[in-house]
Amino acid sequence: MKECNTTCPYCGVGCGVRAEVEGAKVIKVVGDGDHPANAGRLCVKGTALAETLGDEGRLLHPQLAGERVSWNHAIDTIATKIRQTIETHGPESIAMYLSGQLLSEDYYVANKLMKGFLGSANVDTNSRLCMSSAVAAHKRAFGEDIVPCTYADLDTCDLLVMVGSNAAWTHPVVYQRIVAAKKDNPDKRIVVIDPRRTATCDIADLHLQIKPGSDAYVFSGLLNHLQNNSAIDEEYVARHTRGLPDTLAAIGDLDMDTVAESCGLDPIELNRFYSWYANTDRTVTMFSQGVKQSATGTDKCNAIINCHLATGRIGKSGAGPFSITGQPNAMGGREVGGLANQLAAHMDFSPAEIDRVQRFWEAPDMIDAPGLKAVDLFQAAADGKIKFLWIMATNPAVSLPDSDMVKRALERCEFVVVSDCTEQTDTATHADLLLPAAPWGEKDGTVTNSERVISRQRKLVAPTGEARPDWQIITDVAQRLGLKQYFDYPNPAAVFREHAALSGFENEGSRAFDIGALAQLSDEEYANMEPIRWPVRTNDDDSEPLADGRFYTADGRAKIVPLVPELPQAQNDITVNTGRLRDQWHSMTRTGRVPRLSQHRDFFSISVNPEDAAKAGLVEGDLAQLENSLGMVRGLVMLDPGIARGQSFIPIHWSEQFSTLGKVSQLIPAVTDPVSGQPQSKFSCANIAAVPVACWGMVFSKDPLQAEGIDYWSRIAVKGGYLTIIADGRSPARVAEFLKQALADKKQSVSAYSDAEHGDLREVSSNNGRISHALFLHPDRNALPLRAWLSTLADQTPGWELLAGFSSERPDTGKMICSCWEVGETEIVTAIAAGASSVEALGDALKCGTQCGSCIPELKAILYSEDEQIRNAG
Amino acid sequence: MKQRLLIVGAGMATAYLLQQLDQQIHDYCITVVGDEEDVCYNRVLLSNLLAGENSEDDLHMLQAMERVQFIPGSRITDLGTTARIAFSENGESFPYDKLVLATGSSVARPDTDGTELKGSMVFRSLADARELHTLETCGKRAVVIGAGLLGLEAAHGLVKLGFETCVVHRNPVIMNRQLDSEGGSHLQQELEAKGIAFRLSSSLKEIRANDGRVSAIELDDGSVEVCDLLLFASGIVPNVQLARRGGIDADRGILVDAYLRTSKPGVFALGECCEFGQQGFGLVAPIRRQAEVLARYLCDTPTSGFAIEDYPTQLKISGVDIYRAGELDSDAEQIVLRDSASGLYRRLVVRDNRLVGAVLVGDKRGGTWYSELIREGCDISALRNSLIYGKEVAEAQLGAAA
Repeated sequence: MKECNTTCPYCGVGCGVRAEVEGAKVIKVVGDGDHPANAGRLCVKGTALAETLGDEGRLLHPQLAGERVSWNHAIDTIATKIRQTIETHGPESIAMYLSGQLLSEDYYVANKLMKGFLGSANVDTNSRLCMSSAVAAHKRAFGEDIVPCTYADLDTCDLLVMVGSNAAWTHPVVYQRIVAAKKDNPDKRIVVIDPRRTATCDIADLHLQIKPGSDAYVFSGLLNHLQNNSAIDEEYVARHTRGLPDTLAAIGDLDMDTVAESCGLDPIELNRFYSWYANTDRTVTMFSQGVKQSATGTDKCNAIINCHLATGRIGKSGAGPFSITGQPNAMGGREVGGLANQLAAHMDFSPAEIDRVQRFWEAPDMIDAPGLKAVDLFQAAADGKIKFLWIMATNPAVSLPDSDMVKRALERCEFVVVSDCTEQTDTATHADLLLPAAPWGEKDGTVTNSERVISRQRKLVAPTGEARPDWQIITDVAQRLGLKQYFDYPNPAAVFREHAALSGFENEGSRAFDIGALAQLSDEEYANMEPIRWPVRTNDDDSEPLADGRFYTADGRAKIVPLVPELPQAQNDITVNTGRLRDQWHSMTRTGRVPRLSQHRDFFSISVNPEDAAKAGLVEGDLAQLENSLGMVRGLVMLDPGIARGQSFIPIHWSEQFSTLGKVSQLIPAVTDPVSGQPQSKFSCANIAAVPVACWGMVFSKDPLQAEGIDYWSRIAVKGGYLTIIADGRSPARVAEFLKQALADKKQSVSAYSDAEHGDLREVSSNNGRISHALFLHPDRNALPLRAWLSTLADQTPGWELLAGFSSERPDTGKMICSCWEVGETEIVTAIAAGASSVEALGDALKCGTQCGSCIPELKAILYSEDEQIRNAG
Repeated sequence: MKQRLLIVGAGMATAYLLQQLDQQIHDYCITVVGDEEDVCYNRVLLSNLLAGENSEDDLHMLQAMERVQFIPGSRITDLGTTARIAFSENGESFPYDKLVLATGSSVARPDTDGTELKGSMVFRSLADARELHTLETCGKRAVVIGAGLLGLEAAHGLVKLGFETCVVHRNPVIMNRQLDSEGGSHLQQELEAKGIAFRLSSSLKEIRANDGRVSAIELDDGSVEVCDLLLFASGIVPNVQLARRGGIDADRGILVDAYLRTSKPGVFALGECCEFGQQGFGLVAPIRRQAEVLARYLCDTPTSGFAIEDYPTQLKISGVDIYRAGELDSDAEQIVLRDSASGLYRRLVVRDNRLVGAVLVGDKRGGTWYSELIREGCDISALRNSLIYGKEVAEAQLGAAA
């Protein structure tokens, strides 16, 4: 066995992990105690990393039009297509769509090839969906995309404002760090600003449950309040900023009452926040997707930054506006210039910068202007303007808004290349050429996390099948295009050195992003590189950016950006908010394979306020449909009193691979922020209706069930197979008939149960002593066997007794609360009854909550509700 | 003086009666006269004996009993019911105070020529079993007429004995008196898997002989089944000749009342030879009940009398359990379970949330519970989801849901 340090591929926290590798297999992943981001902690997704590896569902060979081809043929085909497309339609007809999952080295060569050698700036990334509004706001305010905080500031601040962030679920390790810091310093105040009462509110001293999209009102009003209460740092403003008067003028007489009304807040609570803010020097405002994924996302980010600039709370310990990114290498992508409106190494499109990069690259076909941003890029493809599109490591058919438009784009574009590690994705089904890319654990490179720490992702095992790292695929294409001298890298270290050199090239303090000192790393030093926070300058200057009050604008001053808050307009019954769940990642291509990660939330569900549900005639677990002019989703109703009336929350993870009509992007219009181009994924509107169901079903199957044609289905991985829930308007008998073909299997023995009168149909079929499928249909979903039992079927001996749908021997542990230790609600309730009266006591008794800690809010909720029941009973 | 109790017939009904009498306080002097050489053996196990699964010893039903005299190999042929005396074929006379007729039944042979040929026989007694055991079986073919309990049991034994065996049955469904058609076909599959062949919806037209021995049969569709052994098992006829000769009222069987009394004072009848409420009896459960009633009546112990109940049918054919209780009305609601691997089949019939019928093939666990539920007419709504899996599962599920 060998141990290898690497970096987790999930969120932007960028935790260091230690992988234990035995032979060609990663057997275990634990937190790296020496990594600055997590100091050994890991969330449940990271803990389950080893379970996401392996051959299952992997794309193993290049496939052209569905046929396996050689790499040589695939590279040839791409080179030919690129050359022909440029010759016929010009360079702007080709595009690349990259991903925050790529490593900086992959990103660097893709960006260089497109912008320097193919003459197209149409290279954008899914980071556009995640943090481009923060980038735009940083650039407007600071002159450069600089995150002026580190995680240590979360420890040292006295007031932490979390805006549009459910860090408890989306950045669990950072959240646990905040929890620990608050425990160490009980005076630390935490304010959560979010339209939902999320798990993160568990530690909040104050939760401002604002109307969706009203964040800019809160912070514009705050700026006014600071001004009116003499809380402005006049000296800082005078020395280091400009724009405050204009900004205050733009805000006008926005008073507290108006803000409270616009945001749907109690003025007393709003005032409490304002006075805490006014009176706390060490304030960090941590903001995330809830702010950025908006048609006015850039303004919202600037509204936040404005308050920090006006109070001089930036570039100091325990103070600053802190954008937390979603993806493992969103930051690295920004650094190399992976966005269409960045050039490279934090340089823009001024003639001097274009010239500088052109000289550095010795580039013959340098672009001279920004390219198309994600949504525009796909719209252009849908309009027939993009003829060649290469998508890497992302699933835009699921993640981009207006899925139908994206589908049209993929269908209309003449040649679509998709590089991915997964064979079946909603995007891959539209590819002309599929390339097997090496995923996490099979390739080398670097990523940058939300606090500017560059860490190595290391190759742990050999690539599966014929998979290759993306940087290599791209440089192979470049070389085939005759660009060998510019793309002749023996390894990712060489790419990294060039990237580092470009960051330092003619820099001399003009750009904060400077890792010039790393341009001299030897291959061995690169191999052993420890996590390091940029800047890493050649001149021994190790000061933090912005600490000296100097900004990267023309005059060295920060800009306080004038803006007028706006509210998104609701049109239908209910507004749609979207986001991540605790245990899933993106379109579930990785996490969807791990049974325990589907235990916290299993099937595609829509969370709504209980009163709205009642109004629509819906109870928990019913099938609901949300529909607007763009499309429709169908999911199981989850009642959530933490969601305000008139709102809904839909997770982003479901694709056509895991559910029918589970893609929330179907409901999201392609509305983007005018500055950043980031889509407004957090706000849409739809009408909600109950979907009549005559037949509910649960199907365990060894292989994924092909349930197309069923009104609603959603699938999770369980041990040894899959579990699919189905709901349909037809009778159980008709549904059984319909499913017969999908479940047909030769040489099998079948046990069947039928109570036709009650529509109770059950079937267990087996092959060589192993269950191949088990089907349970009933008009009443509560009559179906429990998921916990169904999930054990792979281990059960086939027999008619299984048709009873439960085993009295195996106690049902209830809804999974702690995924790390697999502790269910029933066990927790039992332990509470037995005297465990705190989260700690539960941890001692059951271990729940003792690893990643992301279930602690739920543990507390259960403790509270059990306590309440006892009080009521008493 | 002690009362003399004469029992004619030494079959299973007699064995049950003796067992019951043994539990009563009485001062009868009991004589049992049987026409077979063997007395009171378990006829149900004959096919197992044939199959080599049981020994003759296993078939004995009684321990040695005081005050009971057995006279085997003697056939009673006449009765004087006024004088209360019975006469045997060889002229012996048996005076009695009370007479119990337990003469059983015989297998009906069809009225086709050749039923008395060599190689044509019935399988009803230990003697028959012994005879079959003496036969050369290797490469030989047997045809059994009738796929009721008797025929299937015989076929099972014959297959085990080494015969290639085919069962001919008039009805398209085997065991059609006990099973529904699907249950029959499940059982048939099980039996086919064990080597028994079937010709259903067929009846015997002609027996063919060669050299004085059965050589083949022709069926009503003209097809021919070659056979070395032809075994009749197509229905039983109560043995009522003796009763008739004694002037005792008989229809198909000897008519009895609820206390098993015949039309003549002091004369009783039970078992397969009797008829009550226009029904005959061939299964163990009601006959045991008759034995109990009669024993109590004879000993002046209060008894509620025999009544027609829906006695569940409980059988094991060729190792396959069969259980059937209540009605199998196809218009009512049906809960059905089928298992291709084990050949298990269950059907429960429900009307107005009450279980009214059950048929179980392959695994009779739960049968007694179903009979209880049928008899008591309980509302089964709460148990319905798991009713078919038996009492433990249903109650556990009910518990889990609570």
